[in-house]
Amino acid sequence: MSNKLTQGWDKLQARSSLMLLIVAAVIIEVMAVVQYVFARDGIRNEVEQRARTEIKLKNLEIQNVISDVEVAINNMQWLIDWAASNPDSIYSTLQLIIHNNPIITGCAMAFEPNYFPSKGEWYEPFAGRSNGLTGDIVHRQIGSAEHDYHKATWYREGLHSTEGQWTEPYPDDAGSKMMVSSYTLPIHDRNGKVIGVFCSDVSLEWLAELFGSQAGAYTFLTSRTGRLLACPDKSMVMTTTIQEVAKQFKDTMIDVVNANMLAGDSGDASVKDNDGQKNYMYYAPVEGKTGWKMAIIFPDKEIYAGLHSVGKRLTIFMILGLLLMAYIMWRTFRGHKRLATVNAEKERIGSELRIASGIQMGMLPKTFPPYPDLDELAMFGSLVPAKEVGGDLYDFYVRDRKLFFCVGDVSGKGVPASLVMAVTRSLFRTVSAHTESPEQVMTQMNNAMSEMNESSMFVTLFIGVLDLHSGALAYSNAGHCPPVVITGGSVIPIEMDANIPVGLMPDWQYSLQSTHIDSGSTIFIYTDGLTEAENAEHQQYGEERMNSTLAEVGNKSPREVVAAMTDSVHAFVAGAEQSDDLTMLAIQFIKNIDV
Amino acid sequence: MNTTIKEQNGELVAFFEGRLDTAAAPQAEKDIQPLLASNGKNIVLDCNALEYISSSGLRLFLTVLKSAKAKGGHVFITGMNNDIRNVFSMTGFTNLFEFR
Repeated sequence: MSNKLTQGWDKLQARSSLMLLIVAAVIIEVMAVVQYVFARDGIRNEVEQRARTEIKLKNLEIQNVISDVEVAINNMQWLIDWAASNPDSIYSTLQLIIHNNPIITGCAMAFEPNYFPSKGEWYEPFAGRSNGLTGDIVHRQIGSAEHDYHKATWYREGLHSTEGQWTEPYPDDAGSKMMVSSYTLPIHDRNGKVIGVFCSDVSLEWLAELFGSQAGAYTFLTSRTGRLLACPDKSMVMTTTIQEVAKQFKDTMIDVVNANMLAGDSGDASVKDNDGQKNYMYYAPVEGKTGWKMAIIFPDKEIYAGLHSVGKRLTIFMILGLLLMAYIMWRTFRGHKRLATVNAEKERIGSELRIASGIQMGMLPKTFPPYPDLDELAMFGSLVPAKEVGGDLYDFYVRDRKLFFCVGDVSGKGVPASLVMAVTRSLFRTVSAHTESPEQVMTQMNNAMSEMNESSMFVTLFIGVLDLHSGALAYSNAGHCPPVVITGGSVIPIEMDANIPVGLMPDWQYSLQSTHIDSGSTIFIYTDGLTEAENAEHQQYGEERMNSTLAEVGNKSPREVVAAMTDSVHAFVAGAEQSDDLTMLAIQFIKNIDV
Repeated sequence: MNTTIKEQNGELVAFFEGRLDTAAAPQAEKDIQPLLASNGKNIVLDCNALEYISSSGLRLFLTVLKSAKAKGGHVFITGMNNDIRNVFSMTGFTNLFEFR
């Protein structure tokens, strides 16, 4: 790719990554909003439901108590009738009522003026507990000129009503100091003529508990006129009215209170407090004769507190998720770029290695047959490096009807070995140009290479000089594995002196050895990459396999011998990675009878 | 391939275990650093448990030999199996080392 194209590609990738990120962000955002809206509606419904349930429950509880009192008092009427004939017997009835109704702090039967001539103008027998809701039941007559009940509102209203009714709650100054409401009931004689009012004071202390503070909600109870009877803030009870509270709100709460709540309706309202915070309000009247109203208020802040905290957490998670995503994308992107760089570098090294490999292979004679004019010589060589470049070498040339040849193996592999290989091959050509004796070539090569050998690299090398007239083979070996001579079905290794490899020690005197090659025999020289070729189980190909394969191919042409060996090794290693360079050189000598 | 080095009777003994082939050579080269750092002590290369040696392994032995000789020390090889003995004689390494 050209640089410009690469940059364009990078840009495209960066842009598509960014787009992906934005799309993901939008999807997540939309999902969050939808979820939020649904959740909020759900919570709102839940709250409305809870408000109604809460109010209904309170209604039931209040009614339970109130109707108990009403029933108790209403049922007393006949007793009153009966007692009317004996004014003093009324006390026992009153005492019975107090005794049976723990929340009635006191009750009185207020008679019309002079109903009992003996009792005078004011006759109001009263019974009550000495100390609010506790203490002994005491009784006395409380009507007098000073306590002229005939003029009291409760009496006058009670007298003229057709049924029982509840007074506006008031603090009971006389006895208990508690908040009470009186239930008044007109009493008639057998002729239907009203003879007085029965009044029982009912303690409203129990309301406080019913409207105590509650987590996340605010409930309150007002009287018919709006006076606060119960709410979590005790200091406001009886001292203030709902109208006054509502007036403090800038909002339209007062309208809701006046128009709906105090009119006896039930319903929802959304009201803002002075801080601008929204509240949900539900109001309903207390059923029955009390005329009381109830309301419950949930601040939105409380209602949606859970939702908001979840929302906040979700937002944080979302942001973290997106950041993580962005980071991964960035890493991937950078990884791609780095990979591209690494690949480019690899590519460069690879191409250099390919070039080096070409140069190296170029050093080896690879035209076979190399000497078509020489009938006495057939040759084939093969070198397969384990890596791009290797440390094996072979070389040969003919001078004065003598074949100079060598096969070598540099210790190690790869580029370092390949450099030594190139040096070795050059030295072979240079040194052998001046002498015919292989041991001198070897000794001089060793001297040259030992001097410059800093890294303990060495070369096992076999150098041979074959006389193409006689078949005499002069050779010198520097630690190389012994070549074999194939004659028909026999495979005989050439005898070897134990000389050290080239490059280790200057001044080593290499020995000269010689043998005779029969016409038709093939010299097979190889590197240990052949015998030590391993299969996946680390078994080595070995000399035995080599020898038997060579015996099979007998006196076939060098090309066929090398091909057969190659096939045999490939079949043995069965795809296992080649671990060492593999070199084979086969030289067949056919004596020219004419000469 | 496992290489351990111990000091015995004033000599450094390297125990080679397994196959010292081209793949194992780089690690073995690290493992024998103490031998190269020693100052003139005799060194014994114990090959009793060595199964195979490649030319890279030979080079490693040679490095030890060169370093020891430069400091006036000797390198002895002990316990070679037949295969390794063949490799040594074929490559002429029998001429370089001392054997026990």
